[in-house]
Amino acid sequence: MARRTPVLKVTALKKAFGPVVIIDGFNLDVAAGEAVALTGRNGAGKSTVLRCLVGADRPDSGTIQVEGLAVSETNPQIRRDVAAVIDDLDFFPDLSVVEHLDLLARAHGVPDPDHAVDEILHEVQLVAQSGQLPPTLSSGERRRLALATAFVRPRKLLILDEPEQRLDVEGVAWLAERLVAERNRGLAIVMASHEPELVEKVATRVIRLGDRAQVEAEA
Amino acid sequence: MAKKTRKPAGGQPPAAAAIAPAVPPVAAPREFFFLPDAEPEPVEAEELHELMKLWRHGRATRSLGQAISDGYVTVFTILMLGAMIISAVLSAQQGMADCTTGTCASSRLLLPTAVLLGCWAITLGLARLFGPVLVSAAEGSWLLDAPVDRRRLLSRRLVVPLVSAFVLPGLATGLVAGLTGMDWPAVGIWTLAAAAGSSALVALAAAQQAGERTWLTTLLKNLAGAAALAVIGLVVAVAADKVPAIALSGIDAARWVFLGVAVAALASGSFWLVLAVRRLDQLRRARLASGGALVSGMQGAMFALDFGLIRDILVERRAAAIGHVRPTRGRGLGLSALVWRDVERLRRNPKMFIGLAVSLFVPYAVDALRLSQLNPLISGLALVAALVPFLGGLRVLSRTGGLARGLPFKTSSLRTASMAVPAGVALLWALAAVPAFVGVAGSGADRSLSDAVIAALVTGAAGLLGGVRWVTAKKVDFGAPMVATQNGAVPPALIFNLLRGIDMVALICAPLILGWSAYLSAVLIVVAFVGLRGSFNAEDLRAEAAAAQRDLDSAKAERTKTKIPPPRR
Repeated sequence: MARRTPVLKVTALKKAFGPVVIIDGFNLDVAAGEAVALTGRNGAGKSTVLRCLVGADRPDSGTIQVEGLAVSETNPQIRRDVAAVIDDLDFFPDLSVVEHLDLLARAHGVPDPDHAVDEILHEVQLVAQSGQLPPTLSSGERRRLALATAFVRPRKLLILDEPEQRLDVEGVAWLAERLVAERNRGLAIVMASHEPELVEKVATRVIRLGDRAQVEAEA
Repeated sequence: MAKKTRKPAGGQPPAAAAIAPAVPPVAAPREFFFLPDAEPEPVEAEELHELMKLWRHGRATRSLGQAISDGYVTVFTILMLGAMIISAVLSAQQGMADCTTGTCASSRLLLPTAVLLGCWAITLGLARLFGPVLVSAAEGSWLLDAPVDRRRLLSRRLVVPLVSAFVLPGLATGLVAGLTGMDWPAVGIWTLAAAAGSSALVALAAAQQAGERTWLTTLLKNLAGAAALAVIGLVVAVAADKVPAIALSGIDAARWVFLGVAVAALASGSFWLVLAVRRLDQLRRARLASGGALVSGMQGAMFALDFGLIRDILVERRAAAIGHVRPTRGRGLGLSALVWRDVERLRRNPKMFIGLAVSLFVPYAVDALRLSQLNPLISGLALVAALVPFLGGLRVLSRTGGLARGLPFKTSSLRTASMAVPAGVALLWALAAVPAFVGVAGSGADRSLSDAVIAALVTGAAGLLGGVRWVTAKKVDFGAPMVATQNGAVPPALIFNLLRGIDMVALICAPLILGWSAYLSAVLIVVAFVGLRGSFNAEDLRAEAAAAQRDLDSAKAERTKTKIPPPRR
């Protein structure tokens, strides 16, 4: 049986901060329609791996490729293919919630951006906050806006660092359904999470980090 | 054996298990602590303060004497600067006393007055921004939660802003008054007016703070600022002989006016102070702690000389105060959507144009003062300050990678698009400044029209690129190799942060100032633009080189693995 070409291919990834080796010899292939969840205790290296995957951090060694292209944070093709919600997402302080989504949709050339923005805004339940400026949003609303920025634009790979953070129970349930739908539409997903229910529903593979040996299990 | 335990047979359990069934573990009973049912004892704020002081002292690693002995360079610098200032004031007093022209008399009257008004505006602005009454996060959490007399506690917090407002504006105004050659009684009057006025305004701001009102302080701040600018304009106009010089007798009349201002400020300040103290117990903790948080945030940024971060904090705060805007629909697709958002920003923040208009006044003032040779440099620096608010989009896109990563463009394209609208604004500014470069405000005919147009355009470009360099400043990396100085190891970026923007303007305007060809400035503009838009981003280039090297290594390793062994005989 022919193997599907991986959207994301990580080979022998190593990252250390000074003498502390966070991750070493990490390999990962993620094909379209696959969702990989990284789990593990705090400090296990989940966020570090994700930061390397989006190009925010440079690995000490190893290769990361998205659609056969070496990951570089500044490469426009990588920016086009990878939608990420990690800890360094920033917002324009003078643009409202809806204007952020509008800008992203238009920048990515989404046809009928108004419709796309409306749909996503309803989905993340930020319609009432559409005119609000980001500094006035609650932490949960900011998280919803961050997730919306990933869903309002085209993408091939979705990278999420603890996306369930600060979401209420309904929000986590919505997120799980949304990610399952994304996966079923052929999107590749890599996420780090501490929420067992979300991992169980979404992930096709779970990788537990932190132990020297990676324990891999089919969900 | 292990295999057996992992995969038990589906039949009967082992006999031993039947004899001694597994006992479920019994959880140890939990014990909870509750406070005794007794009335809490009254707490004095002083006691809590003493306790906090004790903790802080306990954590101190050096005594005050040791700190002073370590900072001897700073102490000597302060002493030397103080001596130089006093010497300068005394010599100015002697020198200026001989100057009896109308221009000298006008400057003597107007410059200290402009400083006084400016001090009032700045004092009100800072008082409104920080509180003026504020508490640190720790005090907000620990002291204000305790059942203490809040008014008594916060009265002390009012002392520092009041005293600062009295001393600093007084010193600044007194210094300028002394340098302009005013006689000592007049110096005292202007100093007292500035000090008493500023303190009264802080007391007013404190009274307004408790009432959660800001309109009066805002109005007074704007009036004082506008008046200060008007007086500076008058100084320039007098120096350029556009306005008749004020007679020497003007100072005698003005000193009575300012004495009256000082007395009125003392009287009204006392009234506002009493009102403010009465209202102190109405101050919300969130309002008090937000000022403290702002101070600590700005302190952190100041330690790294990260002026961009200071501005970011203020911008975020302003956005939080506005809270809600009427959303507008975007236009275009791709990069044009980004440019259109910048156009929308102009409409949303018209206040930015006030700073631009003030900066446009600078080339005319410099020309009027017959400093046309230095006009590109001075006006370029003013334009940098005016253009920074227009570069807000670029600032956000360059301070963290998160947002830029979400936009499918090269860094250079993103930066170029973010510069488009500010570049248009700078072009308009340059065109409006052409008459100043021709020399209409000064003696006239400093430059030909074509030269003036080139000089204005170069100045506009220098201001724009200086602004871009300022907003794209990276955070100081304290992990990078440091430079040894008298004050210990310092990261080089910390020193360069002081000059960011200024260096760009100086570099681009240098050929004009030195009388070299303007083409050299044009070349420098192109080089600076290419560098600032990130075409040769060293980090990107390093990353690309490293990625290419890694790919090469992987390919080599792959080739070695799949090498076909030579045929064996």
